[in-house]
Amino acid sequence: MPVLEANLVKKHYKLGQHTVEALAGVNFKVEKGEFVAIMGPSGSGKSTLLHLLGGLDTPTEGEITLGEKQLSKMNEYQATLARRHNVGFVFQFFNLLPTLTAEENILLPLIIDGKDPKRYKERLESILNIVNLADRRHHKPDQLSGGQQQRVAVARALITQPAILLADEPTGNLDTKSGTAIMELLQRSCRELEQTVIVVTHDPRAAAYAQRVIFLRDGLVVREFPISESTPLAERMSAILAVMRELEAE
Amino acid sequence: MIALLRQIRLLTLRSIRARFLRFALSAFGIVLGVAGMLAIGVTNQTALDSITRLFENTSGRAKLSISSATQDVNGFPEQVQRTVGNLPGISAAAPTVRALTAQADEAASDQLDLGLFGMSSSDNVQIYGIDPAIDRQLRDYTLTAGTFLGDNPTAREVVLVENYAADKDLTLGGWFSILTPNGVESLKIVGLMAREGPGQTNNGAFGVIPVATAQELFNRQGQLDQVDILTTNPNPSTDELDALKASLQARLGKDLSVTYPSGQGERMTQMLQNYQIGLNFMSGIALFVGAFLIYNAFAMTVVERTREFGMLRTIGMTRGQVTGLILLEAGTLGVFGSLAGVGAGMLLARGLTRLMETILNSPLNTVEVPFNDMLTSWSIGLAVTLLAAGVPAFQAGRISPMEALRARGKSGEGWLIRRGWMLGLVLLAASTILLIANPFPYDVQFRSGSLTVFGLFSGATLLIPGTVSGWERLTRPLMKVLYGASGSLGSRNVQRSRQRTTLTVAALMVGVAMVIMTRGMTESFAGDLRDWIAAYIGGDIYASSSIPMRSDVGRRIAAVPGVQAVAAIRYLEVDWQTASGVESINLMAYDPVEYTRVTRFVFSDPETDPASVVRRLQAGGAVLVSSVLSEKYGLKPGDTVYLRTRSGFHAFEVAAVVVDFYNQGLVMQGSWNDMRRYFRINDASTFLVKVKTGESIAAVQEIIDTLYGKR
Repeated sequence: MPVLEANLVKKHYKLGQHTVEALAGVNFKVEKGEFVAIMGPSGSGKSTLLHLLGGLDTPTEGEITLGEKQLSKMNEYQATLARRHNVGFVFQFFNLLPTLTAEENILLPLIIDGKDPKRYKERLESILNIVNLADRRHHKPDQLSGGQQQRVAVARALITQPAILLADEPTGNLDTKSGTAIMELLQRSCRELEQTVIVVTHDPRAAAYAQRVIFLRDGLVVREFPISESTPLAERMSAILAVMRELEAE
Repeated sequence: MIALLRQIRLLTLRSIRARFLRFALSAFGIVLGVAGMLAIGVTNQTALDSITRLFENTSGRAKLSISSATQDVNGFPEQVQRTVGNLPGISAAAPTVRALTAQADEAASDQLDLGLFGMSSSDNVQIYGIDPAIDRQLRDYTLTAGTFLGDNPTAREVVLVENYAADKDLTLGGWFSILTPNGVESLKIVGLMAREGPGQTNNGAFGVIPVATAQELFNRQGQLDQVDILTTNPNPSTDELDALKASLQARLGKDLSVTYPSGQGERMTQMLQNYQIGLNFMSGIALFVGAFLIYNAFAMTVVERTREFGMLRTIGMTRGQVTGLILLEAGTLGVFGSLAGVGAGMLLARGLTRLMETILNSPLNTVEVPFNDMLTSWSIGLAVTLLAAGVPAFQAGRISPMEALRARGKSGEGWLIRRGWMLGLVLLAASTILLIANPFPYDVQFRSGSLTVFGLFSGATLLIPGTVSGWERLTRPLMKVLYGASGSLGSRNVQRSRQRTTLTVAALMVGVAMVIMTRGMTESFAGDLRDWIAAYIGGDIYASSSIPMRSDVGRRIAAVPGVQAVAAIRYLEVDWQTASGVESINLMAYDPVEYTRVTRFVFSDPETDPASVVRRLQAGGAVLVSSVLSEKYGLKPGDTVYLRTRSGFHAFEVAAVVVDFYNQGLVMQGSWNDMRRYFRINDASTFLVKVKTGESIAAVQEIIDTLYGKR
């Protein structure tokens, strides 16, 4: 059974007198523990799709199912609770609270949910080890590098063991080395924690860490192909670039 | 609960610490507002308690007091004391004759002190004529030297307050010379009393003499001013006392008034009303500024933390939780700010109490702040903080979670910014109409006045976002001429955040308005005061005495070489029937023709014809009302006022409105003839003297001093 399913999802926006069709009927499924990358040029609808998949917005038409729940039919409050318990977010700009330490930032979703962080000590230690920040746990964001801050953000997204982890251009604000570390971290969370991850990115190098790449253009899925994990990274990148050139040429 | 405390510790307190200066500035506003409110309340209560206690102390064990209901300067017949003393349930009736006079040696230097609270003289001494045997049953005089008054009812002896005697270098066994209507009279000082209990009367400038001596010296034979009553039952119940009061009142008739002694304190507290109104208005403004600072600080915080709130919404914080987060920050600020305000208020109350002591020239009780007052002030401070932060908190809750995903935070414009001008227009129009048309009675107008001003400012503030675009376009060419391209760019920036522009302009508007208002009020008041003082002491010489003077003294002064004209003036306290009851005011009586020869009228309406006013006053049955009374009670020329005369309430027509701040403006002016006819008074308090052009004022004054100074 898929963890996430988009069925004929459409999204229209009103811009003055005009209606803009951001998504024109998107269909796809994501299985548990899968690592999916969504790519496409600017204006292709990838950010809109991410908002809909994360329950931040509702589709004009179509259905989005997260586990057994219909995200598209939830009201604002239900969608908030669904995000709290089932979705982890990683942002391009980290979005950590500057007044909290790394550990407190990681525990923030549990604190918002009214849970006692002490009862999640074991899970915290495990995640801190995965993101390799055990020795930086008491540092505040301004005492951490960009890469470390993004690792804190990944840890924060993982702490609630969400059904899906959505990452919006997670390497967009990082240098290549830090970006690679983040993508490896997401890959590791898939392998070791069976975490389902969906990454929206422009970067073919980042997308190359995924098991499947979905290409969007003009609000529609125009290409979708799996990548074998046994294939070397450079070859995976070449394959993605080839598809991108092919789509540009069409 | 634990989860909430955890959120407070991690999110609320950390956020406050991170923006400490901004929060400290906001808290300062609340501290100021709460402190002002508490201090003013406490000071008022302290003053009221002190005044009541003072009257209770000076009244001793007297349960009821009888005095003239018509404020008759001649008092009432002394038979009243004998009648009352023989009634069942009354064990003693102590007679009193009051006289305000001055020590004879100092009479020449007796000068008028003009102040906002009326006229006073520092050298006055209050003399009470008493029956020593009866009076000591009611009051505890603490003798510090000598003996009390003896049994001889006509003995020329006095017991003075020791502080007063020391100030005037008077010693036990010596003589105390005072001014009387018959000239200087001397009294032997047989005793000195402490300045406590009855010794506090007239701030200690006080002495007692036998009642018959007082009647003789001050031409009050057969008259008394007050009879204090001691009941057979030393501790009568309220019902018993009410019944006795009612039966006495019925027996004595409407010309005499039976009161509870401590009720006299209420009269004095009326004097503080204007001062209290001013302070209350100030505390209201302080609270408004505090609320404004808080709104501003939180509105800025919400804009600055848009992405942070977006992130919190994304990871599962509900709208209510985000709103609650801001309200928790405001609440924390309100709790501690109001607490600090209570502390500061207690200190401020001490300062204001000292100020009040100076105004009243009387020591007040030690400042005590009741817990309930502290709790109320603290609660109001907290509520105002939460209300002021309410709109930004609500806006924070409405921030879309997608803001967290944007590259730059976007500040949305709320309904108030987009459509608030409509509400602003309504508020502005309504408050302007209320302020100009002034349709409510004075009391309602005073209570709603602050709200109306608040509505005016709020309306003007809400209009700013709707009009800023027009203003900006209008001034842009000027900016371009003055500063070139950067001027044009800077001008356009004004429109980038209409909310920020609104707050800045509103802050400036409040500041400038307050400066203009304060300056306008001060200048207008000072101008009126100058005009009034110029007219009030319009004569060249102002001859007054601590005791009423016969009106023929005026004729004698007029005969002094160099004197051009003299006007006699008499002040008397009269009861005035208002819509809400009877109010005591001062009536200033003079001969209108004499008066205009010495000085001039200062009319509220400059178009008023003085000659017609003089004619109307001479015709009788007319008064001039002060501008204060006119504004307070909506009186205008042609209206009728009812004053209590010797034969009951009588109608007087308002001939004109004059600027007069004597007795805080609670004053009317009438003709000498009316005073004689309706109040049966024919003596003067003061003579205004006009010196002939070219004559030396000092020389004429010296002649008058020499001839009449000792009288």
